[in-house]
Amino acid sequence: MTKLEAIIQPSKLEAVKDVLTELGVEGMTISDVRGHGRQKGHTEVYRGREYSVDLLPKVKLELVLPDNLVDPVVDAIVKTASTGKIGDGKIFLSRIDEVIRIRNQERGVAAL
Amino acid sequence: MPLLANDAVTQDAYQAEVQKIRARFEHSHDGHAAIVERSNLMDSLLGELWDQFGGGASGLHRIGVAALGGYGRRALFPRSDVDVLFLHESALGQDSQNRIAKLCQALWDLHLRVSPTTRSLAECGKLHRDNLEFNISLLDCRFVCGDAQLFDQLRARVIPRMVARDALELQQRLIDLTSARHEKYGHTIFHLEPNLKDGPGGLRDYQVACWLNLIAQLEKAGSWPAADKLVPDALRKECGAALDFLSAVRCFLHYRQGRDLNGLTYELQSEAAAAGIGLPDSAAVAPAAWMRTFFRHVRSIYRLTVLFDEVPPVRSGLYRLFDHRRSRLSNADFSVVEGRVFLRQLSSVQDPSTLLGLFEFVGRHGLKLTAETERCVEAALPHLRRWLESSPDVWVQFRRILVAPHAGAALRAMHRLGVLVLLFPEFQAVDSLVIRDYYHRYTVDEHSLVAIESVHALRTPDTELERRFRDILDGVETPDLLFLALLFHDVGKGLPAEDHVAGSLQAAAAILDRLRLEPGDRETVIFLIAQHLRMSSTIMRHDIFDPKVVAEFSEAVGTMERLRLLTLLTYADVKSVNPEALTPWKAEMIWQLYAAAFNHLSRTVDDERLTLAASNSERIRQAVAAAGDPDSKHIVSFLEGFPKRYLLTHTPAEVVGHCRMYDRLKSGDDEPQIEIARRDGYFELVLLTLDCPGLFSHVIGTLASWGMNILKAEAFSNKAGVVLDTIRFSDRFHTLELNPSEEGRLKRQLSEAVSGEISVIDLMETRFKPAVQGAKVKIEPNVQIDNNCTQHSTMVEIIAQDRPGLLYDISSTLAELGCNIEVAIIDTQGQTATDVFHVTCAGAKLDPAHQKNLRAALLEQL
Repeated sequence: MTKLEAIIQPSKLEAVKDVLTELGVEGMTISDVRGHGRQKGHTEVYRGREYSVDLLPKVKLELVLPDNLVDPVVDAIVKTASTGKIGDGKIFLSRIDEVIRIRNQERGVAAL
Repeated sequence: MPLLANDAVTQDAYQAEVQKIRARFEHSHDGHAAIVERSNLMDSLLGELWDQFGGGASGLHRIGVAALGGYGRRALFPRSDVDVLFLHESALGQDSQNRIAKLCQALWDLHLRVSPTTRSLAECGKLHRDNLEFNISLLDCRFVCGDAQLFDQLRARVIPRMVARDALELQQRLIDLTSARHEKYGHTIFHLEPNLKDGPGGLRDYQVACWLNLIAQLEKAGSWPAADKLVPDALRKECGAALDFLSAVRCFLHYRQGRDLNGLTYELQSEAAAAGIGLPDSAAVAPAAWMRTFFRHVRSIYRLTVLFDEVPPVRSGLYRLFDHRRSRLSNADFSVVEGRVFLRQLSSVQDPSTLLGLFEFVGRHGLKLTAETERCVEAALPHLRRWLESSPDVWVQFRRILVAPHAGAALRAMHRLGVLVLLFPEFQAVDSLVIRDYYHRYTVDEHSLVAIESVHALRTPDTELERRFRDILDGVETPDLLFLALLFHDVGKGLPAEDHVAGSLQAAAAILDRLRLEPGDRETVIFLIAQHLRMSSTIMRHDIFDPKVVAEFSEAVGTMERLRLLTLLTYADVKSVNPEALTPWKAEMIWQLYAAAFNHLSRTVDDERLTLAASNSERIRQAVAAAGDPDSKHIVSFLEGFPKRYLLTHTPAEVVGHCRMYDRLKSGDDEPQIEIARRDGYFELVLLTLDCPGLFSHVIGTLASWGMNILKAEAFSNKAGVVLDTIRFSDRFHTLELNPSEEGRLKRQLSEAVSGEISVIDLMETRFKPAVQGAKVKIEPNVQIDNNCTQHSTMVEIIAQDRPGLLYDISSTLAELGCNIEVAIIDTQGQTATDVFHVTCAGAKLDPAHQKNLRAALLEQL
C-alpha cells in the first residue's frame, strides 16, 4: 500500500476529485493548506498598504492506495491538476506498513 | 389485569402489559397516550407491590408513596427513570425500611430504573441547595398509594410553604441550570442531530417554563394552579401540539433504541420520517420535510424561554448598574426594565408604525421583549395585515431595522412572532427549512439571519482578517441593500424553481416591487442575489492570482460599491453555513480576490470606455432604451467616450438628466451646467462643462472655501471634451441648510471659478478656514504612479490622512504640473482618503522625470 499526498491548486480540486472517483478511489482526506515551493509568494498592494502573500492557498489530498492503483491515480492527478504554470503543486508517495479499520479491526487492503 | 400471580410479580405479566402499550403506540404513534399508559401501569404495579409487602399493615409507620418528576406528571416515557418518593412522618423503623427495600428490589428485578427517595415531611419542606433537583421534582408529586393523608399534608401545606419561602432562589437556580444547559448546545435550536429532551426548545424547556409558572402562582396564591394553566394562553395551543409531537418522537426513540437516549441522529431522523412519527395520519415524508416540522415545534417551545426573563434576577451590582443605564433608553412608547421592553400602552402596537418602531428599538439597543409585549404584538397582527393591504411605504422603517446594530435580534423576534412573514410572505418558503447535509448547521431562515448578524459583528472585529472586512464595510454606501439581499438571497431554496438562485430572484422581484425601491437600489439587490455564489465559485474553481480571472470577475461586478457589497455578502453567506465554515483560509481567499478586483477596477477605469464598437453598443442601446428618449443620437454622442463605469454608477434617470444638462450646455454658449441636490445626509453636486486646465481643482477649491467637506467624487470626460464631475460633500457649517438662498450664490461662484472670472487661489486664501482636528489614526501618505495600468494615461493613486482642503492641494498640484485629469475617483473611508487619478500631459502618459517631480510635489503636500 502507498500513501499519496498531493498539493494542488484549489481550483483543480473538483476536477481531481471527479477523476479519482472514476478510478474507483473510495476515500480521501482533503485539507485547506497554505504554503509555497519555488513559486514563493508575492506582494499585493491594496489602498496604499502592502500585504505580503508569501504563503499561497493550496489544497492537500491524502489517500492510501492499493499498489495497483498508484500509477493510474498519479497519472490522473498530474493530467488533471496541471496548468503548465509554476505553482501547480506536487505529489508525494510513501510506503504504508499497515492499515486498521477502527470499527471492526480489519487490516490491510480490506481496511482501505 | 392482575400483574401479580399467586402473590408474586411475574415478569411475563408486566412485560405483556409493556408490549401492549408499545403495540398501541406503534399502531397509533400517540406518544401522549403511551406515556400516560406507562404511568398508569406503574401506579398499578406499585400499588400491588405495596399491598404485597404489607405496606399498609398495622404497626408500621405511616408512609405515603408518591410519584415524582415525569412519572408524577403522568409522562413516563418507555425508558425513563421511575422517580418514587416514600414519604413518612417520623423516623422509619427497621421493618418499614425493609419493606421499602423489598419493594424497590422487586422493581429492579423487573429491569425498571427506579430512583427511590425516602424523606420525612419536614425534609420535604427544606430547600436542598446541594440537591435542588429534589425540590423541583416535588412540584410534580402525585399520590400513588399508602397514606393519603400524609401526602395531602405534603401537597397542601409543606410544598406551598417551601415555595413561598424560597421561590426566588428556586426560580433563579432553574434559570441558571437552563442557561448552562443551553450553553452546552450553543444557545441554538439548530443542530444537525438535536437532543429533543435537553436541547434548546426541547421537552426540558417546556417543563422549566411550567415549573417557573407554577412556582410564581404557588407563591402568589398559595394554592396549586390547574396543570393546563401553566403555559400562557397565547402559546398553549402551539406548545400543546409541540409537546404531542415531541412526546411521540421521544417514545419512538426509546422503543427504537431500548434506552433513555434522546439524540435524534441522522439515521433515526430518516426512520422517523419514513414512519411519519408525530405527523397527521402518520404519513411518510422526506427526512428534510420531517425535520422542518420538528424545528417548527421546537421553536414553539423555545418561545417559552421568554418567560425565563420575567423572573427578577439576582445579579451583581455591576450588572444592575448596566441594566439601570439601559433603562434610560425608555421613550414615549416603550419602557425598558432589566433589558426588556414593555409597552407603555398595550394597544400602541396596533399602529403599524409603532409596531415596526418597536423592532427598530430592539434592533438599535439589543433588548428583549417581555412575554406581555410579545402577546400584544401577536394580537396586533390583524391590524398590520389590513395596513399592508393599503400598500404602505414599509421600506423606510424596515431599512432602519436592517441597519440597526442588533438587527439579527430584531428580525428573529419579528420572525418568531409572525411579523416578518406577514411583511414578506415569500419568507414563509424557508421557514424552518432544513438543508440536510453535514455542512449546513442552520435552517435556511436562520442562516439568513445569522448572515446579517455576521456582517454587523464586523463592527467589533477580533482578528486582523475581520478588521480588513470591517474596513470594507466602512466603505459601503448602502448597507441596507446588503442586508436586504442577505435576507432573501436563499428564499428560492423553498420554492419550486429550477435552481434556488432563480427562485430567490423571482421572490425578490415581487418583494422589491412592494418595497418600491429606487431603480438603482433595486438593481443592486437583484445583482447581489443573482451573483451571490459567484465569488465563492471563483475562489474555489479558478486561480484568483490569474489576471484574466480577476479581470473577468471585475467585469461581472462592475463597480467598487458592488464589489464591496458582494464581498461582504460572500463573507457572511459562508460564515453562516456553520460556525467553522469560514476558515481563515477561505476568508483570506475572499479578501485576496476583493483586493485584486478593487485594484483592477480602479486601475483600468480609463481604458474601459464606451464606444460605438460592437462590444459597447449594447450597453449604450440599453441606456438609450431606458432613457425613453425618441432622439437617441444625441444621447449616444453624449455617452461616447465616457468610462464604462459611468453607466454602472448612474441610473438611466440620472443619465437622462445629465444628457439634458448637456443639451443646455450646447445651447447656452457653453455656460457650465451645475445642479446641487440634497441627499440623505450629504449634498451632491453635478457639474457639466467643457474641459479646461485646472478645472477639477477650481471646483474643489471653491467648495473647500465654502467649508464643504468632500466625501466622494468622480470626474469623467467624453469624446467631445465635455467633463462631468459628480461630487458628494457634507456641509460642515450647515450653510446651505440654514440659508437656502446661498445655493444660488454657490452655483454662481462655481461657474465663475470654472470660467476663470474669479481666482480660486484668492478664495482659498481669504475664505478657507480648516477646523483644527487631531488625527485619531495616523495614515502614512503613499503615492503610487503606474504607467502600465492603461493604454494612454498614467495612474496616480494617493492614500493620505483625510483633512479639509486635501483634495484641493492634490488637484491643484496636478494642475500646476500640467497634468490633465482624464478620470478621477475620490473616496474617503474614515480618516483615510483614497484618490485615484488617470492623468495625461499633452495627451500622452507622463515621462519618468515628470512622474518623479509629481511624486515629490504630492508627497510635499501630503
